[in-house]
Amino acid sequence: MKKLISVNINDKEYEVAVSPNQTLVDLIRNDLELTGTKKGCELGDCGSCTVIMDGKPVNSCLVLAVQANGKKITTIEGVANGEKLHPVQEAFVEHGAIQCGFCSPGMILSGKSLLESNPKPTELEIRTAISGNLCRCTGYQKIVEAIKDVSEK
Amino acid sequence: MLLPKFEYHEPLTVDEACRIMGELGQSAKPLAGGTDLIVNMKKKVLSPSHVVSLSGIADLKELDSGNGTVKIGACITASEIAQSETILKSFSALSKGAGSLGSPLIRNLATIAGNLVSARPAADFPPALLAYDGQVVLMKSTGERIVPLSDFFKGPGQTVMEPDELLTQIILQKPPAGSGAGFIKLGVRKTLEISLTNAAAYLALDQDGSIKTARVFLGSVAPTPLRSPSAEKILTGEKPDEALFEKAGEAAAGDSKPIDDFRASAEYKKAMVAVLTKRALNMAFKEANAG
Amino acid sequence: MSEYDVINSRAPRLDAPDKATGRAKYIDDLKMPNMLYGALLQSPFAHAKILNIDTSRAEKLPGVKRVITAKDIGTVNYGISPARYDETVFCTDKARYVGDEIAAVAATDLETAHEALSLIQVDYEELPAILSIEEAMAEGAPAIQDKFPNNIGAEVHQEFGDVDAALKECDLVRTDTFINKRQDGAFIEPHGCVADFDRSGYLTLHSSAQSPHYTMRNVAMVLGLPIGKVRVVKPYVGGGFGPKMEATPMDYCASFLSKVTGCPVKMNYTREQVFLHSRARHQFVHKLTTGVKKDGTIVALANECHMDGGAYSSFGIATVYYAGSLLGAPYRLKNMKYDGYRLFTNKPACGAQRGHGGVAARAAWEQQVDILAEDLGIDPVEMRLRNSMEAGDVTCNDFNTSSFGMKECIQAVADGSDWKSKKGKLPEGKGIGVATGFFVSGAGYPIYRSETAHSTITIKLSDDGGIVHVFSGSAEIGQGSDTTIGMIAAEAVGVPLSDVRVESGDTDFGVDLGAYSSRQTLMTGHATKDAAENIKAQVLEVLSEEMGIPVEEMDVKRGLIVFKNGSPDFQKVRTIYVKEHRGFTDSPKEGSLTFKEAARLAYLRKGNIVGTGKYSPGELGGKFKGATVGTSPAYGPSAQVVEVSVDMETGQVTVDNMNDAHDCGFAINKTSVEAQMEGSLSMGLGEALYEEVKFDDKGNILNANLGEYKLATALDMPPVNAIIVESNEPAGPYGAKEVGEGAIMPTIPAILNAVYDAAGVRVWELPLTPERVYKAIKEKEAKEKEKK
Repeated sequence: MKKLISVNINDKEYEVAVSPNQTLVDLIRNDLELTGTKKGCELGDCGSCTVIMDGKPVNSCLVLAVQANGKKITTIEGVANGEKLHPVQEAFVEHGAIQCGFCSPGMILSGKSLLESNPKPTELEIRTAISGNLCRCTGYQKIVEAIKDVSEK
Repeated sequence: MLLPKFEYHEPLTVDEACRIMGELGQSAKPLAGGTDLIVNMKKKVLSPSHVVSLSGIADLKELDSGNGTVKIGACITASEIAQSETILKSFSALSKGAGSLGSPLIRNLATIAGNLVSARPAADFPPALLAYDGQVVLMKSTGERIVPLSDFFKGPGQTVMEPDELLTQIILQKPPAGSGAGFIKLGVRKTLEISLTNAAAYLALDQDGSIKTARVFLGSVAPTPLRSPSAEKILTGEKPDEALFEKAGEAAAGDSKPIDDFRASAEYKKAMVAVLTKRALNMAFKEANAG
Repeated sequence: MSEYDVINSRAPRLDAPDKATGRAKYIDDLKMPNMLYGALLQSPFAHAKILNIDTSRAEKLPGVKRVITAKDIGTVNYGISPARYDETVFCTDKARYVGDEIAAVAATDLETAHEALSLIQVDYEELPAILSIEEAMAEGAPAIQDKFPNNIGAEVHQEFGDVDAALKECDLVRTDTFINKRQDGAFIEPHGCVADFDRSGYLTLHSSAQSPHYTMRNVAMVLGLPIGKVRVVKPYVGGGFGPKMEATPMDYCASFLSKVTGCPVKMNYTREQVFLHSRARHQFVHKLTTGVKKDGTIVALANECHMDGGAYSSFGIATVYYAGSLLGAPYRLKNMKYDGYRLFTNKPACGAQRGHGGVAARAAWEQQVDILAEDLGIDPVEMRLRNSMEAGDVTCNDFNTSSFGMKECIQAVADGSDWKSKKGKLPEGKGIGVATGFFVSGAGYPIYRSETAHSTITIKLSDDGGIVHVFSGSAEIGQGSDTTIGMIAAEAVGVPLSDVRVESGDTDFGVDLGAYSSRQTLMTGHATKDAAENIKAQVLEVLSEEMGIPVEEMDVKRGLIVFKNGSPDFQKVRTIYVKEHRGFTDSPKEGSLTFKEAARLAYLRKGNIVGTGKYSPGELGGKFKGATVGTSPAYGPSAQVVEVSVDMETGQVTVDNMNDAHDCGFAINKTSVEAQMEGSLSMGLGEALYEEVKFDDKGNILNANLGEYKLATALDMPPVNAIIVESNEPAGPYGAKEVGEGAIMPTIPAILNAVYDAAGVRVWELPLTPERVYKAIKEKEAKEKEKK
């Protein structure tokens, strides 16, 4: 039997009927058609499903949609400010930190989240903050450089 | 990957949760962070017909510190523990264990109770909690009991908990001055790892600098987190130094009972018990001297 | 000051903003009205006869639209290489690995599709399974494929020069055996497809594919559809690295299911299914015998290789050649013998993965060369420099190097890493290692025999003249090919990059063989340059006629017409443009005539301005059997120096930093070249230290997930110093050649050599897990104790 939940995603209130066995990532991608959040492994190993939930980056593939009831969520679609990219997005584009782009939404959210709580991180802190986001394309080099660049501005 | 179908319950109080668990018993599983339960349900290892979410219970997120005792609510996350000044001050090894679990994303969901209740031999919380001689509070509708963590684990995935019980709190006594602890984990990568072996050590020093109390706990080398009485025997009453810690490490290796598995051989794990125990003892000694 | 306006810069990628904001659509983001969800039934046994399949209960499940098996879809044989068309979409008589496809279902939702799978009754008779090279070659081993009774799916024997004679002349000879493990592509996006068969008999297959062209041909062939009625389109692809080069069973099933249900059908792999499908790096066992002279000259190499290829051939027929041919360079080697065997086993099929058959061979040989250098008392960097080829050299197996910055690369990493002050001076537990490598810049021949161009490009100017619209069948899979193509088009036409629009990955745009063998910059780039120059020529021709100035006296630069002689009056052309754009606020006002105005004029005079270009490498390589595999218009060498720390008590290896120099001929986009180097290094590091697909004794994969199959995380990867070397390749557009696969080559051996420097142990089996390194250290300590 479906349950009605209320969830705030990217500053918009949604009321959705969800099945108990539906995950948050599937709610976001399928019901709400916000496909920027990706599914790479569905077991919490890769981080491509990262969303910010009540201020913390989490693997949305491990959260039940019903658990998101009453929560405030930011997905990649909620990061840019209208036409203007967020500084982290801008830096990723400028530095060539995006190749295939599949890990990028998760990476950007993890990076943004880090800088909000730690505006001047060390390189080790940057690498730790994104250590739950796997990337097969970049070797992380330009991702780290991009986040560092934002922190130095 | 699809989750099997189940009925979902969202109690708002511990009492309500216990009542529901009492009614449903074996057919229900409690859900906190989901980093173990959801994964196992997707892998079709577990298929409970009822899932009881504990995330709505405010009491389970409380951290109480006072009178020499720290009480950690069951649903406090690994992140919160790793970042807590209170925990770092008195229980540095626990802070370290919490910070080594999974990845930052997993740590934002995974709870301390979940890590204990899932009872994986390689789990990151138990060794440090055991080194600090922790206790757990188990509640059910008819009352609660306090169980020393050293009596809690029975086997992989098995604890002394009854089907209608909930783990609500972890109780730790603040260690005395002149004591210290260390936790160390060995994996293949630097993060997102399930330990090949891990070790936690606790030392309390006497006035003359010799070891008054020693506790050594090992993970991943037995069906449950394993105490090393042989290591503790070698340490107690002695003056700490490199050679002593090395001997203790060898003794811990002797106590360990690892198995060959697809991650590593028993022989290697045993050898690493010696190395990690020695290093954990060094960490504990360093902290004991500092404070 | 660059002589170029667009290329050789750090232009941000064209697709980056969409990818940064979640706008970029990948295959699982596609949804269509009335869409059905497909699921595959796969064999739970590694080797089993299929006695009977009963789909009746599944068919009756509400929500199930169709269930198919071999008898429905047919049994046309296919593969990626016509030389080995040994696959059918579904098993017919037997299943050959855990994961071999038996049936498929299309249903209204995924849950129903999966429930239907559980209702399909299959009667199996288990057969003994072959799970290793030894078992495959054993006396009396069952044949996995009837055509190959001894399980040797492909065999190669080549000799150049006279190895036996040459070895006798050597001052030092040694033999070593090296083993790597099966790797997985582990791109973060699993494969998937959405097939949409319309009511006029046209199929549009959206697929996460590296080669829409090869996928199109195979789907057309297997389903018996005319090629012209099959369109394959790739959305954004979340990485490929090789395993996405061939059409998956999903591509065939979804297409067929869409046809018979009249609905679009979507299918995806779970991460586990990605492992079961594989088509990734083989396991290689290389036995190398190398002979050198006292002065360090490498004289002869005998290479015997056995490969575990899994149950089908996939790219293996090429792999087995590459495992030998890719040691023909970068050293001057006159005598090389290669005996290669690809064995069938009851495991998922192995194919081509970044660096293809060269990676394991390179790892083995570079460690051996290092040992020989040490035994001769020659510094390892010096050893490489002494033996390196130079531009113009031809290998013993007929690879022509028209550009070859090998020595420059070696010098660059030696300098960049401060080799001289570190080698031999680091404490125990710290080490530094060097290695080299090279790769082809595009396979010299298509995978199917054909005279087809390897790449075709169409460019159309927008009718207002402002946008250069490039249409390419090539595949942007994250390597940056769309941006590279755009930059080449912009440079060749003479306009800014912001005036170029690239659309790609659609077979309707024309033939392009796709993203493999590191070919697109050179081959697609060449075709693009041709088409762009053609566009420019067409526009200037019209302008020439209008203004009465010869074409040779005009050029286009930065979007403006450049008159080489004086400043002619162009008002007439401007007036034509402005009159037709009354009300527009962005009409050209520059002091110079713009390309846009000239292009608009060209449109008015001639209609659509369309230019085409194409590229074929021409005749390459030697005349011996297998010569086609490894021949290429150009070769990209690279060198690496790596520093490691080894925890002598636990065996854990940490890579502390990496210096990598790659000769890409000419960097069209410097950032993209560096990015490909850095990514290659992380895959190499993963294979060196962590990655290994593990099986149990029944052929099940034990670690079919990204928790236990371990990729390097941001905490495992060190900082990388990527150094671009430019040798100006004559066969490349603007001198450009590859970087995407060559850069991985030196990685594993540089780490192996650094570990030796740190811990004094030579490890001949990957991955270098802490346990493996620990054991090696203990054995060494035991040996030293014995000596005393």
